[in-house]
Amino acid sequence: MGNLLKKIGNSFKDFGHAVAYGDIWVKLSLVIMGAGYFGRKQFVRGILMTLLEGGILASIFGVFAPYMAKLNTLGTVQREEVFDIVTMKKTVNNYDNSLLILLYGIIGVLVILAFIALYISNIKAVYRIQKMKEEGEHINTFLDDVASFKNERFHITLLTLPSIGVILINIIPILFMVCIAFTNYDENHQPPTYLFTWVGIKNFVNLFTTSQTITFGYAFVRVLAWTLIWAVLATATTFLGGILLAQFINHEHTYFKGMWRTLFVITIGIPQFVTLLLISKMFGDYGIVNTWCANIGLLDFFKNIGLLGQGAQCIPFLSQPGWAHVTIILVNIWVGIPYQMLVATGILMNIPSDQIESAKIDGANKFQIFWKITMPYVMFITGPSLIQSVIGNINNFNVIYLLTYNYTTTNMAMANSNAKEVDLLITWLFRLTNEYSNFKMASVIGIVTFIICAALSLLTFSRMIGGDKEGVYR
Amino acid sequence: MKKTWKIVVRHLVLAFLAFVWLIPIFWLIVTTFSVQKGINTNHFFPEQWTLANYHQLFFEPDAAANFPAWFKNSMIIGTFSCLVSSIFVIMTAYAFSFIDFKGRKQLMSFSLILGMFPGVLSMIAMYFILKMIGLTDSVVGLIILYSGASGLGYLILKGFFDTVPTSLHEAAKLEGASEATIFAKIVVPLSKPMIVYTVINSFLNPWMDFVMVRLMIKSKDASDWTMALGLFNLLQRALVNQYFAYFCCGGLMIAVPISILFIVMQKFYVEGVTGGAVKG
Repeated sequence: MGNLLKKIGNSFKDFGHAVAYGDIWVKLSLVIMGAGYFGRKQFVRGILMTLLEGGILASIFGVFAPYMAKLNTLGTVQREEVFDIVTMKKTVNNYDNSLLILLYGIIGVLVILAFIALYISNIKAVYRIQKMKEEGEHINTFLDDVASFKNERFHITLLTLPSIGVILINIIPILFMVCIAFTNYDENHQPPTYLFTWVGIKNFVNLFTTSQTITFGYAFVRVLAWTLIWAVLATATTFLGGILLAQFINHEHTYFKGMWRTLFVITIGIPQFVTLLLISKMFGDYGIVNTWCANIGLLDFFKNIGLLGQGAQCIPFLSQPGWAHVTIILVNIWVGIPYQMLVATGILMNIPSDQIESAKIDGANKFQIFWKITMPYVMFITGPSLIQSVIGNINNFNVIYLLTYNYTTTNMAMANSNAKEVDLLITWLFRLTNEYSNFKMASVIGIVTFIICAALSLLTFSRMIGGDKEGVYR
Repeated sequence: MKKTWKIVVRHLVLAFLAFVWLIPIFWLIVTTFSVQKGINTNHFFPEQWTLANYHQLFFEPDAAANFPAWFKNSMIIGTFSCLVSSIFVIMTAYAFSFIDFKGRKQLMSFSLILGMFPGVLSMIAMYFILKMIGLTDSVVGLIILYSGASGLGYLILKGFFDTVPTSLHEAAKLEGASEATIFAKIVVPLSKPMIVYTVINSFLNPWMDFVMVRLMIKSKDASDWTMALGLFNLLQRALVNQYFAYFCCGGLMIAVPISILFIVMQKFYVEGVTGGAVKG
């Protein structure tokens, strides 16, 4: 962070230097950005730069400025319809739309920041050309410039389109939603009919508050606890299970290895939303699994040992807390192991066999070999990605939502916050928006989820790209 | 003697596990032939068999179930998103792996942080934005969503590119090849397995996705839906007794293109999965 500030500082310093020592063309570039290029007879560049400047300024003043001016209030004029007796038509007043103000306001700010950066780098570039001219160096013609995008500046060619995509689909929406977390945008404040406005950190306070009217604090602690337990258990079970299964199939005395692998991998072939919905029906209160359990006496057994009340009609696999939690974890093992097995198979094939051989000669038994040689090796390779998959499971929408979309909570405090016992943060936030239009709280929960994931990633960050592991194979 | 016994047990265990894993798939398949349209809660196998469900699936679309339209929508979305996102991923991965430009590390760190925001969060905002320009409920809107930010998914492919020997790159440069030539003539042909893997993934992601469609498509007209949304809708309480067998048929049909992809590209795919994993 400090590094970044220093860089920005240096950039401004260079800018000042360029302005102070630049000749008339450089100084003229302060107003007309293409001037510096015209002065060195680089007309194409000059025209492009001037057009760009004009376009950006026009869009800032023509499109974004009116919205940015209202950013502090997010609009004050509410929509009203008036019935005009003379024309017999409804007329609508010139109302403010908070959503548009926020969105265009954010884009406007980004455009201005980008323009400032462009402006500074332009002056510096123009000054550099002046220097080169003075020292008689070769100045790239426009055609040279174009050619450089295939070579020295190929990364710009490659990265431009993907970056624009990321800015539009990712960065702007994220900034937008972060802002929503500080407003009162919910079902009672929906543009264009109603306005919403800034409320500061009130929503964050509400998330941790438990009172008569606000139950988010109560629900949040429970949802968060289940999210973390789920993420760790789901990762650990499928990871271990996958390695064991791969190990089992890879064993020298297992025949038809390919066939066994294929049988498990078939389950990946059918999309999760199909298999999970199907399983949710199988384990439903009146589903086929319950019929089996009643037939073989499992239902009565659970009643007898007191896990179920005497009046229970069925085993509530997916309809009661506790039961649902266990079922979800079990189903996830079913979903996750084939994939982990594929990954583990690849790793196990690369394991140095001489180590295992020498361990055998030394008289180690199978469990010792597994825990002392295989596991450390696998952990070394997949360790960082393990934390990534914990993060993936924190955001594992499919398994939870598709298995429990019919679940109804009986806990009033949970229901007041539109949460269920089986919700992860991510499914909670999804339903808050999709079913209850409570965008402000959804944003707050999203930000909290991000903070948790970011904190976890810090653990792996240095090993992923910060360290010197990169390029080991080159 | 003891050894043979052990081997038999080993295979019995495997057979049992495979059996457990295949129960739901098997149930899906047999239910597609069931005369009973709703869920049969008493019998695993249908009491009477028929092909009528498939006929209904392909030739009798109605207001609630329109598989041909869903298949078409999903296919269009999958194909175009796949095209755009594969290109984006390959370009980004190449730039980050082979070109040592200013700010490379910073950009990579930044992209890692961006990837940590829950996708649903930015999707909600995208819903408002697309609504303003009238692209919700449209195939184009979904294609933009699936492919726009795909550049962020470059890490696995970059890991693979990193294993291409630097000497190759340098030799080509000495011969006077430009970066663009090296990219097109050397690196892309060399990385075929990984690129196939990338392409398959970029197709499967939109093909199998449920979340975004659920958020983006609010249309009540069944012909606007994709497969995930349409099939999900069939399991609503009011419809499930009419359409469960239909749902199973549809679910099985979705797997067909995926299976074909898997079988054709199997070698590449396994190399891809494991190659990416080893890179971690």
